[in-house]
Amino acid sequence: MPETPDFQAYCGSEPPRFANPAELEYAKILDWYGIPWLYEPTTFVLERDEDGRVTEAFSPDFYLPDQDLYLEVTVMKQSLVTRKNRKLRKLRQQYPDVKIKLFYERDFERLAARFGLRKAS
Amino acid sequence: MRELGAELARDYEGREPLLVGSLKACIPFICDLSRAIPMHHNLDFIELSDYGENNDGIRFLKDLNAEIDGRDVVLCDAVIDTGLTMHYLVRSLAIRNPASLHIAALFERPYRRLVDDLPVRYVGFTIPDEFFVGYGFELQERYRNLPDLRLVR
Repeated sequence: MPETPDFQAYCGSEPPRFANPAELEYAKILDWYGIPWLYEPTTFVLERDEDGRVTEAFSPDFYLPDQDLYLEVTVMKQSLVTRKNRKLRKLRQQYPDVKIKLFYERDFERLAARFGLRKAS
Repeated sequence: MRELGAELARDYEGREPLLVGSLKACIPFICDLSRAIPMHHNLDFIELSDYGENNDGIRFLKDLNAEIDGRDVVLCDAVIDTGLTMHYLVRSLAIRNPASLHIAALFERPYRRLVDDLPVRYVGFTIPDEFFVGYGFELQERYRNLPDLRLVR
């Protein structure tokens, strides 16, 4: 991963550690536009076993506090996104008040075409 | 375009709104819209830096010539997508105390919106998640001059 820039609109206390270059690029775009953002601030529990232990959870990549909106970025091939979509469906069912948007590979390609971004390898 | 122009004329009857175009994609739209508004109004333009041009964040490359304190302002753009650019414009112009501030867009993709507190009042069409050129839309600064929209595949 490239070095994390000094973000201006990041609202967290610890420096974000991105999982892939696409997340970093989205963070840079949000930051450039001055949109306050947080990185993975919330983990939503989706399933527990009989003992109450968490067996499935979901941590959306970004949270925009001013918009009260979560963003999940994926640059996986569409065929591999199915699992993530299932999680997203569960989240929407269990947390209907939570606003979340999923960004697919083609969204990133669209941004890449517009902003000259490098696609995650 | 005639419908948008008539709607604007109705809403701003007795006033003289300022149409503000965000360069450059807006040019064909704001020209056609202006011609479709059968009442006095003014035009002005702004231009913002493109992402990646600098590391300091979005900024004005060209500011308004007109003062907008007390004016009715209609921000015009070709398309509202994520809404990030328009969000910046609205924030920047709102602090100059316009009497009103609304948005007119030829196209929008509301399903891609990241900011939902935009004062969008006039929209021509909701368009699919496709990439277009022509009628002001460019690909590497080309094709803006095409008189109609072309789908890029």
